[in-house]
Order: sequence, then C-alpha cells, then structure tokens
Amino acid sequence: MKNIMKKMRSIVGRRAGQRRAGTADVRLVFTSYKKILDDNGRALEIITDMGEKMSGGYLFDIIYIRKAYSDLAASVKVSLKDFHQLTGRRYPEMNSVFGRIDAHIRGLIDGTSAHRERLAVRYADITPEMAREMGGKNYHLAELGNRLGLEVPEGFALTVFAYEEFIRHNHLGDYIAALAEEDDPRRRHELRARILNGGFPPALEEALAGALEELRERSGGDLFLAVRSSAEEEDDVFSFAGQFETVLNVPSQIGAVRDAYRRVLASLFSDEAMAYQGRLGYSPGGLRMAAGFVAMVDAVASGVAYTADPLGRDQGVMLVNSAWGLGKSVVEGSTEADIFKVGKSEPHELVEARLGRKETRTALREAGGVEELETPEEQRGSPSLTSEQLAGIARQAAVIENYYHHPQDIEWAVDGRGRVAILQARPLRVRKNAPEAGGEKKLEPGQAGGPESRQDGGAMTSSHPVLMHNRGSVVQAGAVGGRVFLVSSPEALEEFPRGAILVARNDSPQFVRAMPYASAIITDSGNPASHMASISREFRVPTVVGTGIATDVLKSGAEITLRAEEDGGMTIYGGIARDVIDNQHDTFLKLEELYEFRRRKYIMKFITPLNLVNPFTDQFAPEKCQTIHDILRFIHEKSMRELIESSRHAERSASLKRLDIPFMDDIHIIDIGAGLAGETGEVVALEQVSSVPLKAVIKGMSYPGAWRKGGVPISLSDFFTASMRTGAMLEDVDINLAVISHYYMNLAVRFGYHYSVVDCYCSERSTSNHIYFRFMGGGADMSKRQRRIELLEIILDHLGFISRAKGDMITATVTNISQEEAVRILDQAGRLMAFTRQLDAMLTSDEVVKNYAHRFIEGDYELFG
Amino acid sequence: MSKRIMIIDDEKIVGDMAKISLEEEGYEVETFLNAEPALKRLRETQFDVVVTDLKMKGIDGLEVLRTVKKLYPDTKVIMITAFADLDVAIDAIKGDVFDFFPKPVRIKELKESISKAVAGTE
Repeated sequence: MKNIMKKMRSIVGRRAGQRRAGTADVRLVFTSYKKILDDNGRALEIITDMGEKMSGGYLFDIIYIRKAYSDLAASVKVSLKDFHQLTGRRYPEMNSVFGRIDAHIRGLIDGTSAHRERLAVRYADITPEMAREMGGKNYHLAELGNRLGLEVPEGFALTVFAYEEFIRHNHLGDYIAALAEEDDPRRRHELRARILNGGFPPALEEALAGALEELRERSGGDLFLAVRSSAEEEDDVFSFAGQFETVLNVPSQIGAVRDAYRRVLASLFSDEAMAYQGRLGYSPGGLRMAAGFVAMVDAVASGVAYTADPLGRDQGVMLVNSAWGLGKSVVEGSTEADIFKVGKSEPHELVEARLGRKETRTALREAGGVEELETPEEQRGSPSLTSEQLAGIARQAAVIENYYHHPQDIEWAVDGRGRVAILQARPLRVRKNAPEAGGEKKLEPGQAGGPESRQDGGAMTSSHPVLMHNRGSVVQAGAVGGRVFLVSSPEALEEFPRGAILVARNDSPQFVRAMPYASAIITDSGNPASHMASISREFRVPTVVGTGIATDVLKSGAEITLRAEEDGGMTIYGGIARDVIDNQHDTFLKLEELYEFRRRKYIMKFITPLNLVNPFTDQFAPEKCQTIHDILRFIHEKSMRELIESSRHAERSASLKRLDIPFMDDIHIIDIGAGLAGETGEVVALEQVSSVPLKAVIKGMSYPGAWRKGGVPISLSDFFTASMRTGAMLEDVDINLAVISHYYMNLAVRFGYHYSVVDCYCSERSTSNHIYFRFMGGGADMSKRQRRIELLEIILDHLGFISRAKGDMITATVTNISQEEAVRILDQAGRLMAFTRQLDAMLTSDEVVKNYAHRFIEGDYELFG
Repeated sequence: MSKRIMIIDDEKIVGDMAKISLEEEGYEVETFLNAEPALKRLRETQFDVVVTDLKMKGIDGLEVLRTVKKLYPDTKVIMITAFADLDVAIDAIKGDVFDFFPKPVRIKELKESISKAVAGTE
C-alpha cells in the first residue's frame, strides 16, 4: 500500500516549493503566541479578581475599581499589540472594538457616557451594553424577545439621550436643578407643563420619524402603539410599577406619538413618582427617562402573572390574574378579575380557580385611545382563559423567572388568534415568611463569629439531610431547589427540563444552551475561570464546580437544594429546603437594594460575560465583541489559528528527527522548546519524548485494542475512490510531522487514507490551553465518509469539543481546559485516530454509526469481533 | 443586648454593605460618611467596636482612633484603608488598633475580627 501511495504522490506532483511562502519561523510565532497567552492570562486573572471582589463578599471602594480596571485595560492593550504583531495586523478593527468597550466602561466608572448620539433603537437591535440607556422596561422586554425567544410585540425605544436632548433643547436643566435644591410642588407643576408644551429638537424629530416609518414598514402599514415609560435603571431590582405614565393605542402618526412621548416624560416629575425616586435615593433629575413604543396587541384577554405568591403564603404556585380585553382593567383593578393558581413547575396544573364577575373590559377605540365597555352578559362569569392559554402563560412565566432568578410580575395578553404575548416583566417583591411562633431567630453576636458556627448554624436551620458540604469552588452564589438532571453528553441538553439542576462530570461552554432553564449547575471537575463559569455569573445561575463527587452523590430526578455562599462555602441538602432558599434570597435582595452597589457592579456586564462561544459561527467576529472577555477570547482563538498554520508549514531544516513507533510510520519531529528530553540523535525513542501533549496522544494511539495491526479489509471500489482523492489530500501530509515543545504539539498524521491534525497547548494555566482537531479524507465512497464524519461528530461532542463538519472534513476545538483534562482528551483523540482507521469498510449503513460511536465511548474498540 | 458597631467611611457603599452584612449577624450598626458627626455621636454613647477608614477629608482615621481611645479605652478600633497606604498606616498606628484591613476587605474576615473584638469586651 505504501508504494502505491508514493506513486500516487509522484503523479500528482506535490512539491515542497508549493508550500505557502513567507510563513514566519514557527519558533518566532510560538514565542509570540506564548507572550499573548501570558498577556491574556494576566487580564483574565484581574477579571476573576474583580468579579470576586464585587460579588458582595467584600467591602470595596472606587479606588479599587479604578485601579483594577486600569490594570485590566493595560493588559488588554499589551495583548492587542502582541496580537497585531503575530497576525500581521490581520484584524486592525480590534483596536476600535476595544476602544469602544473601554470608553464605555470608563464612562460608567466616571459617570459619563459614550453614546450620546444614539437616540432611537429598535428592540431587535438592543444589546446588553445598551441596557442603561434603554431603561429597564425597554431593555427587559427586548431581552425577552432577543435572548429567550419569547413572543413580544414589535417596537423601538427612545433612549435616555433622547430625553437629555429634549431637556436641553427646551432649557429645562435649570428647572430640574432648582427642584433638586428645593422640592416645591409649584415648581414641579411648572416643569411638567413645560415638558408637555416642549418643542422637539430636530435630531430627535428625525430619529423618531425614522423609527416610526421603519416600524410601519415591518407591520405592513399604519398601526397603533403603546407608548410607555422606561426609566433608567442599572439593574432589574426596582420595578417602578405604575409610577410613570403609559399612553395606550396611539396612532402611528408623528404628531400623536410626539404628544404621547411628552406625557410620558412629564410623568417622571409627577408627585408620586418623585416621592418614589426619593425613597430610592435618587435626587430630582438623577433619574433619566427612556421610552418604549410597542405595537398594541388587540387583546381578547389580558392580565398579570405573578411567579410567586407576593404575600409569601403559598409555596410552589404562580398566580395568574386575567380579565377580558386590555390589561388596564386588571392593573388598575377597575373590574373583578379571574384568579388562577397554578403549579410552579411543569405541567403547571391548575390548583385553584376563582372566577371574577367581569362587568367591564377595556377595549381599543378605532380612532385611538381606549374605552371601558360593558362585558356581554354571557361572558361576565365565564373564564377569560382556556386551560391551554393558562399553561402557555405559566410556561413562559417560569422561563422568565428562571432567567432572572427572581420572582417576576409579568404582563401578558392573548390576541384574537389565541396567541400569548408578553408585554412586560419586572421583579416581584415577595414578602418574607412571617416568623415562627417564638419570635425571630437572632444569633447573639458572640456566637456569630467564625465560619464554622455560621455554616453549621445554616445547616441546622434546615431539617433536610446534608448530602454534600464545602466541596469544590463556588462560581456563583445563591440558594435554589430543583430536580437533578444528569448531563452525560451534550445531546442530553436538548431534553433539559426547565428549572432542573444541571449535574455533570465536567463543565462545558455548551451548557449555555441550558442556562436560561437551569436553576443551578454542579460539576465534578472544572474551574472557576472557565467559559462556563463566566456564563454562569452572567446568568446568575448558582454554580459550584470541582466537587469531585456530584455525579456519584446526586441521583437523576432527585429533589435537592443547593446553597452556595459568596464566601465560598456550600451545602447541598436532600429535598427542597424552603427555609434555606428564602434566607439566601433576603440577603441578596438587601445588597441589591444598595444603589451604589448596583451601580458599581454594573460595569462587570461589559467585562465578564462571554458572547463569543462558538468559533465556527459568524458570530465569532471582531464586531460581535461586546465585552473585554470577548476580546480576549477572540485574540486567543485567532492567535491559536495563526500558530497552527505556522506549525503546519514549518520549515523542515536539518534538525528534523524521527520518532520510532513500532506500530506506525515514523513521526518526524521539530522540537521548538523542551519537547524532547536529554541527548537525542536523529532517531528518537518514545521514552525521550517529554512533550506533555505528544506523550498523551501516542499513549492513546497505542491503547490496546484501539490499534489494529495489519491491513484493513477494503473493497476494490473503495480503494479506487481513495486513490482518486489522495492527491489533493496529501498536499500537506506527506510525512507524519510533529512540531513540539514541552506544553505544545502540532501533530499531522496519516493513517491509511485518513489525515488528522491535532494541535494542543496544555500548560498549568487552564485559560491558556486548547485542543484543535481536524480530520479529513479517507478511502471509501462518499456515503461512508459522511457516516464517519457523523460518527466523529458524536464522539467529539461527547469529549466536549465544539465542532463543525463540512463535506468529509471535521474541525473541532475545545479551549480553557486544565492540563489534566487536556491529557485525558488527547488520550481519547489518539484512540479515536487509531479507531477510525479501521472504520471505513465497516460503515455500511447509517444505523451502525451510533452503534460504533457508542462502542467507542464505552471503550470497546474491537470492530471485527 | 446586641453589641454596637460604628462604621465610618467616606464612600457610602462601604458603610452600607458593612451594615447589611453585620446586621445579619445580629449587631446593631450605625454608619457615618465622615468623622465629625461620628465623633459627636461617640460623645453621646459608647460603641463596642468602631470600624473606620484611615484616609478621610477633615478628621482622619488616626484622630478618630485617638478620640475613641481617650473617651472609651475599652472600645476596639478596626482600621480599613486603601491598599496603597498600608505601610504608612502600619507605622502610624502601632499598638493602638485592634485590627487592620486593606481594601477591598473580605467581609467574612471583618466579621471574624469583630467577633473577636466583642468577645474581648465581655
């Protein structure tokens, strides 16, 4: 077979001169790469530290934030400089991407803003960095649509900058300042009158008209709008429920919309709203007002869903209030409503229904505005929702609560076609349970000292058995209860039940698929700086990694309660320990109530979250970077690709050595730094390899059973197909070649007709590590090759890779893994390369693919048995 | 009776967070944004522990320390300060403070320290 290959090669005529010219020396590239890893590593350490210091477990001040962020920005700048050098400035736009995010963060720290020009934004375009300028209501409604994929009406926002423009244009700044000096009702009144009669600045007029026109186009013509307040809020803690004006059923003509907007702005200075702001520590003028313009839903029924009993009496239920027509009647209590009590978890069974006598309903008037009509007699006493609609509302409500990790107050509407739309979601205040008889439990200060007494105290407040105590690292604190769902492979994520607790052996960025639904995440291994960890923090999913025993101790389907504390302590109880969950909630809420705390913590939204998760999608691009973490991830991924390319085209100088492996062709070696140990001649023995990744992959390839010596049965037609194709495939892999250092390996090998490239860096620092795997070619007809790719996809997925298949080539990558994990995966990859060598002839039908994949995962490599 | 803690720091967030965390443990907590009203309050009533920032406009932490010690030799003083001032601070306050923390202060450690401080006042 070897001879035929040689012949084929000479016919195709591949020449060394065809190599990509001008590639830099792999040693230089590698040095540069390692420098970038160090830069990024430093930056990620600062990010982790900031996250910890601002988690609520520390007293921190502005000096700390300034210093930490300026250190971080400096590291990123160095990293970018080295990145440009490595890539020959292939991504020059990264500078302005960083500049934009950096300016935004510095603006937040110093209380200035960078995007004054943004006046109108449609909901579909609202991204997390805009949260503040959109106001809470706009932002959250857009988020429900964009991020959770829930049904929300079309719309757009006028930002807080639009408000500032309006105030400036009408010279109202002085009035507001005077109000801050002395809060006088007459001054308030005058200010409101001036807003209601205020002129529109030309830029704002233009932005509003453009946004309206665009919305009309999308809606297929004229429509009616709800114009709503959306006060500036850094986070989602205060509801401002009913504080500001909403104008319903406004025709989409600019004059009417302008008037409605003025009314909404003026309501910021209403007597009640001012009092509310005062209580939250805002001075007059301290809070800016954005506004939302959303398509009216012609509601048959609407109302409000509470995902918890606001009085804290009833555990495990949601309350849905519903009446005919628009929700105004329910919110303002102008008519009796139906009250449904449903189970909090699937299938959301009806617990209790109290039908109200719905004498009136709010309806849309044809020319705009709304009116209160009498309900037809036969409808008054009948339920305003079907059981399907009720379950639909409850399901969406549960998704929203899970996402925000806080009980929600949700406005919804059902339209003429029976579809449920979500109109608003805001935090619901739930009253703490009344203390048990005997009064409130209060520890004497003397007892309240060390961590032991407190944690034991915590454990004793619950009568539930302790399943696990103080193991692993707390990534995100919180206390939650739910059913265990064991995730043993990424496919299992597809069936992830809402509200369950995700338990897995390793952490994985793929868990982001389950994040909106998971109550908590607990893993055996993993590290608190992983991608998954940052996503957990972003979604505020209580998460503990590295417990060592989670998959052994926690049984699938069992109810448990996790309490993970800011200070790193954790306890898992059997069953749902309500007392534990509620206690935690209180402390968290109190902290979140601190305006300054929220304001300071808010900057982390532009630092920690990771949006660039899958490098194989077009979302993985410079302009998609929204956070500092995204930038670091982009730099890492693209630098890694640069290194791989460079290794693949390494100059084969005289220093080429041969590694003698008994069961396969020699591997030629270029050692670029401590990849081989001791004195070596031209031929190197296995024992002399000190490169961590190369050792691991060879160990895998030589695993008993994975490698089958001798020929593999191959049909004549398969053989000819293979021969026809090899020319092109051999382009880069004429010999087995490994570029190695102590922690690095780029290995290109050929087994029969298969070609694999494995590239790995596995140092002691997880955030620097990666494995990149590419597999291509193969003899056999196309259907067999595709089956093999399918099989590889299943197995790589199982190993935690993110992969992309294209034709008969598959590329897969995994980043941010510990050295230990990398070695384990490489060992598996080695076995896989050996295993697949036998495969082509065997993949005779689609059915066998899963079977073989399963057998590989189980460690059964004997395909001919 | 609950032990009484006074917190003085010119950044509101520090006092607020400390108050929430310490009230959780059953202490009675009063916070001040600067030393002047704090010292006025101290003349009215005794606290078991005073936690004060070192560098503040007007009256600074060292003066708070001296005044507290003069009024109530039993009251423990815990000093917190920006990390950069650590060396200066250590020199300046030898002996007289109960404990010392650079910011950011781990709340768990502050709680432990206060717990020890009040145990000593029994």
